[in-house]
Amino acid sequence: MRAHGVIALLIANSLALASLLIMLSSGLALIYGLRDVINFGHGALYMLGAYLGYSIALIGGFWTALVVSPLLLALLGIALEYLVLRPLRGRSHIEVALVTLGLGIILGQALIFVYGGEARGVDAPPALAGSVRMFGLSYPLYRIFLIAMGLGSCTALALWLRFSTSGLYVRAVSQDPSVARMMGVNADRLSLLVTSLSAAFAGVAGVLAGPYLSVDPGMDVTMIVNCLIIVVIGGTGSIAGAIIAALLFGFVQVAGSVFLPDLAALAPYVLLFVVLLIAPRGIGRGRAPA
Amino acid sequence: MSGGTTTRVDARGGSLFAGSASVRALVYVALAALLFGFGAIAPTHLASEFVLRIGAGGLLLGMLALSVAFLMSQAGLVVLGAASVYGGVGYLFAIAMSKWDLSPTAALLFAFCTVIAYAAVLGALIVRTNPLAFMMLTLAAGEMISHSVMLEGLRDYTSGADGLVVTFKGAVFGMTAADFANATQFWPIAWSAAWILGFAAFAVRRSRFGAILRAIQENEERMRFSGFGTYLPRLAAFVFVNAIADVCGLLHVLNSGFVSPESLGLSVSTNALVAALVGGVANSTGPIAGGVLFAFAQDQFGAHGFTQLLTGLAVVVFIVLLPRGVIGGLIEGARRRSVLSSKRRRTA
Repeated sequence: MRAHGVIALLIANSLALASLLIMLSSGLALIYGLRDVINFGHGALYMLGAYLGYSIALIGGFWTALVVSPLLLALLGIALEYLVLRPLRGRSHIEVALVTLGLGIILGQALIFVYGGEARGVDAPPALAGSVRMFGLSYPLYRIFLIAMGLGSCTALALWLRFSTSGLYVRAVSQDPSVARMMGVNADRLSLLVTSLSAAFAGVAGVLAGPYLSVDPGMDVTMIVNCLIIVVIGGTGSIAGAIIAALLFGFVQVAGSVFLPDLAALAPYVLLFVVLLIAPRGIGRGRAPA
Repeated sequence: MSGGTTTRVDARGGSLFAGSASVRALVYVALAALLFGFGAIAPTHLASEFVLRIGAGGLLLGMLALSVAFLMSQAGLVVLGAASVYGGVGYLFAIAMSKWDLSPTAALLFAFCTVIAYAAVLGALIVRTNPLAFMMLTLAAGEMISHSVMLEGLRDYTSGADGLVVTFKGAVFGMTAADFANATQFWPIAWSAAWILGFAAFAVRRSRFGAILRAIQENEERMRFSGFGTYLPRLAAFVFVNAIADVCGLLHVLNSGFVSPESLGLSVSTNALVAALVGGVANSTGPIAGGVLFAFAQDQFGAHGFTQLLTGLAVVVFIVLLPRGVIGGLIEGARRRSVLSSKRRRTA
């Protein structure tokens, strides 16, 4: 019975972590699919979402933050598309990736300048503050909410990609950009949609991370490194791969901290290099850059 | 360029150096030797200790930038984990002396070779991937190293966040720890190392190996079809640039006498990247000059706590507006002017 309990907790905790990672890394994979660019500033967007969520929650409460912060991030995503990705589309993908890295550093530093260097705690909203008893175990309600949000956004993403026209176009461009363009798909318009969407997801993840992790100056680097590992494991650009890799990553991270607490920090890297050794292109069907 | 123009340019050069190419080469070598000697000695008499210290730091950053720039320009690969080698070799040097009682020279060799072996294993895994994945993986590997020195289990070796003081008794290459820490004595070492590494990178770039690397960067498939291996050259290039970073990290630890998790941090890697971009990645002079420029700029802005902001801004500005960097831009400008003037002369 106790072993069952441990396993259930393990799975629940890894799902909670994976929920955040899925929201962030699927956003990265989506942009990559359309623009062949990895947004190294994605961690900073997540950090901005978290700090905005912190500030808005102080004024209007958690639920307002959960709506407003992603909307503001979506606007920033639109700016990113118009001011960075479009003007630089003739440049090499590496250069654009480096520009996003630079912009991420600027944004992160600006946030530290505004909010200072210390970590901030965010309380879970009263409705989600307690714990629930499930299968004879007590588990924080907030984490269940987190898992629901993660799985919910995952499902929404899958449904959108599978059943909507724009989702079809996104898949088409991701699979073969030149053929999709020849068939009349407007990749720029899609990219606008996808960039703002993935920035908004980063905002959601940031707000959700507040009560679960903490809001601190190093959160952007930690998260972008985790997401990059997931994107590589998943096969660069593969969304399904990213989701599976995020689940795997969450499990390895949580299991590592339970069974090998001394070495847990290295668990994701071990996973990364093991996967690379077996499948250099990752587990999903990613597309090599053009 | 038509044959006529070439002769005219040669004729002009001839009037300056009076004769054959070998004489001209000799003059260049003499000029370089003069510059080298002047640069090694003059600053130690003219500049204050503070300026020398920043200058030497700039040269070290410049050499690290050289390693980043070489791989960027020759193989189209961006390394975002240069700090892991730079700081990692310092840790190994310190641990080999304090825990395993190696002599300073043996510890130095051990640290150097271990890092090379690490680079070879890491490279074997990651140079197979595409350039974007490569960039992500070097970042991940760098973070892995910086996380591992903070591990509780290795605290006895690495002292966690406190870092390690690196002192040694006796001498390494005829210099004591105090000599290395002395700014006036360290400057000529950093200066010479920058020249040696710069020339090494220059020679590799000009060699057949360099040509193969650039051809692979241009079109890997074409090279494979032409019967060239594309994996080993890139792996060799990765190990080569890590050897540069390796030397640079050893010089840093000998000079500062201290290693800390900060020396492994992402900001060191991005600073090196910025120094490379500032100077321009296409030659050896650019990144080293970029490192010195960056160090002095950092000294100006660092006091206000804006160093990282400066880094971020520099990445964006130099990639978007000045992709050739300052030195690269100057060379390009001079070349364009000489082409223009020779054209003008031809039309006249």
